[in-house]
Amino acid sequence: MWKWIQAFASPKNFYSISAKIIPWLLYPFIIITLVGLYWGLVVAPADYQQGESYRIMYVHVPAAWMSMFVYMVLALSGAIGLIWQIKLANVVAKVSAPIGASFTFLALVTGAVWGKPMWGTWWVWDARLTSELILLFLYLAYMSLNNAFDNPKTAAKASSILAIVGLINLPIIHYSVTWWNTLHQGASISSIEKISQPAIHSDMLLPLVLMGISFKLLYGLLLLMRARDEVLTQEQNSGWVKKIIMEKG
Amino acid sequence: MTLAEYFSFLPYGKYAFYIWFSYLMTFAVITTLFIRTRSIHKNTIKQLRIKYSRS
Repeated sequence: MWKWIQAFASPKNFYSISAKIIPWLLYPFIIITLVGLYWGLVVAPADYQQGESYRIMYVHVPAAWMSMFVYMVLALSGAIGLIWQIKLANVVAKVSAPIGASFTFLALVTGAVWGKPMWGTWWVWDARLTSELILLFLYLAYMSLNNAFDNPKTAAKASSILAIVGLINLPIIHYSVTWWNTLHQGASISSIEKISQPAIHSDMLLPLVLMGISFKLLYGLLLLMRARDEVLTQEQNSGWVKKIIMEKG
Repeated sequence: MTLAEYFSFLPYGKYAFYIWFSYLMTFAVITTLFIRTRSIHKNTIKQLRIKYSRS
């Protein structure tokens, strides 16, 4: 396993293997998104309390999940890059930041749009909303710090430390609805007890799961596409990069 | 006439504006991510080609 990781972590191997993985993410992403959207917007019944407005959940919840998942990947990659000096880990962290920031922005905007008809306001300084906003600021701070240094190694080191410190915000976001009395509703499918007795009917839950998978595939796709370019830039003095570019024509 | 009433001719009645705005926003963000990724790729290839043709 370690040998496989080491082989994949070599920039040259990553570049060739990732090219083969991309189509395996792209086509399932398109199909699962279309099925998820159709199911969520057409097939799933209206909610007995929230009516049709709950359909915002099919983009809001996956975006919020991804905002935290991408940050975890970013911080762990940063830590791996910091400890084991693996170049590819720093690349993964760097290219994940704008993607994660986009998901966080989307979660905040769609949450605000859902909040207006349900709560009567676009925004409240609720623990869940505020901690999610802090996550967006953490992404922005990471990107700013990463671009603030001319030396990529120094940039990766400084921004990785920030990302690791920022990890503390993830449990705060997740448990904010439990620890504090918030306007935001509690988790419906995250705990073990609630999996056996889900708070959502399966007709509503399945499209949510599909959209969750779709957003994960989207992240994988964008991550690989962007990481390939970042690898080319960082390895531009290597012979294999020159060969690839000259062959492209 | 409120915003919700104005867009009520769309599916989902009084929630149409909120639902369609959310999905439109999601589509816009995802499209922007793909366009930006494509533009980074084109720019990377262009810059490296210029560098290698000089050397």
